[in-house]
Amino acid sequence: MSHHRDSGAGPPDEYVEAEIHRLLAEDPAVAEQGITVVRRERALVLYGEVESPHRRAEILRRVAERFPDVPITSDIGVIRAQAPTEIEQLP
Amino acid sequence: MVIRIAAVGDVHLDEDVVGRFRPALEELPDCADVLLLAGDLTRHGTESEARCVAQEFGGLGVPVVTVLGNHDHQCDQVPQVVKVLEDAGITVLEGNGVVLDCAGGRLGIAGVKGFGGGFAGRCASDFGEPEMKAFVRTTNESAESLGKALRSLDCDMLVALTHYSPVPDTLAGEPLEIYPFLGSYQLGQAIDSAPTALALHGHAHAGTERGTTPGGVRVRNVAHPVIKQAYSVFHVGDQHDSDQVSPIGRSGSQRSWS
Repeated sequence: MSHHRDSGAGPPDEYVEAEIHRLLAEDPAVAEQGITVVRRERALVLYGEVESPHRRAEILRRVAERFPDVPITSDIGVIRAQAPTEIEQLP
Repeated sequence: MVIRIAAVGDVHLDEDVVGRFRPALEELPDCADVLLLAGDLTRHGTESEARCVAQEFGGLGVPVVTVLGNHDHQCDQVPQVVKVLEDAGITVLEGNGVVLDCAGGRLGIAGVKGFGGGFAGRCASDFGEPEMKAFVRTTNESAESLGKALRSLDCDMLVALTHYSPVPDTLAGEPLEIYPFLGSYQLGQAIDSAPTALALHGHAHAGTERGTTPGGVRVRNVAHPVIKQAYSVFHVGDQHDSDQVSPIGRSGSQRSWS
């Protein structure tokens, strides 16, 4: 007979990573499919780029709210929207 | 003959972003004949977000042509979204095309959202459960309508506009495991079925800019997170004396450094 192993330490990191990834895509307040969740030794790190500082703050707020015990760090940038300085010639 | 094409995709507009692109967009009449939008104009595809798109991309002084993306379908308000965009003078393509008279000639643009499925030899098949067959048939039908639209246009230069990618080249940087959700080879096959000069797409935020179809058509991923500027500008057409530019060999095997 096998026993369900419950270490009492919460779900394995891989499931947390998957849940965060789906939260970012499926939560209407976020709806970001381009954020990468990477497991590091001390924390989960969120990478990617969004269209506004407001959206970056909302991502961190929603993840912290849903996973209050998971250490999260973020390296999410806001995409620049300046006019191009060069063109591409396609003969 | 040169036609100047500006393009961007995946701008994901909502109220918090309105105005960010506008200063760069005001320069468009000086540097482009047309602006093409490669889908995912909104975050959730609501009518109110579409009004943000209309405000940002309407009345630019150059024609604006778009396809929708998967985000623009999220709230099942596609007819309302399309109406808001069209009321702002934006042409929305889905399995059809438009021909614009530009200074450099008649530019034909055929567009479709496209769909996933994967790439040759590593793709989903029209087999098995109804859900899987529906998935692949959506891809096939989308690609067929793109091919048909491309072949129907009477123009001097032909451009294909999609949201999903027609080639894996421009997905480099994305996890390999999700390629089947980012594009399908059938779109590339449709693009190669016509004398297409350039194919533009978005959707792959972590992808790369440049690729080519198996038939040699240049493909550019213009997703905003990839190009990292308000839009890219392409000058398509003959702009050099033929003596100055070496033709690309069909075999592609000769290298100048070998």
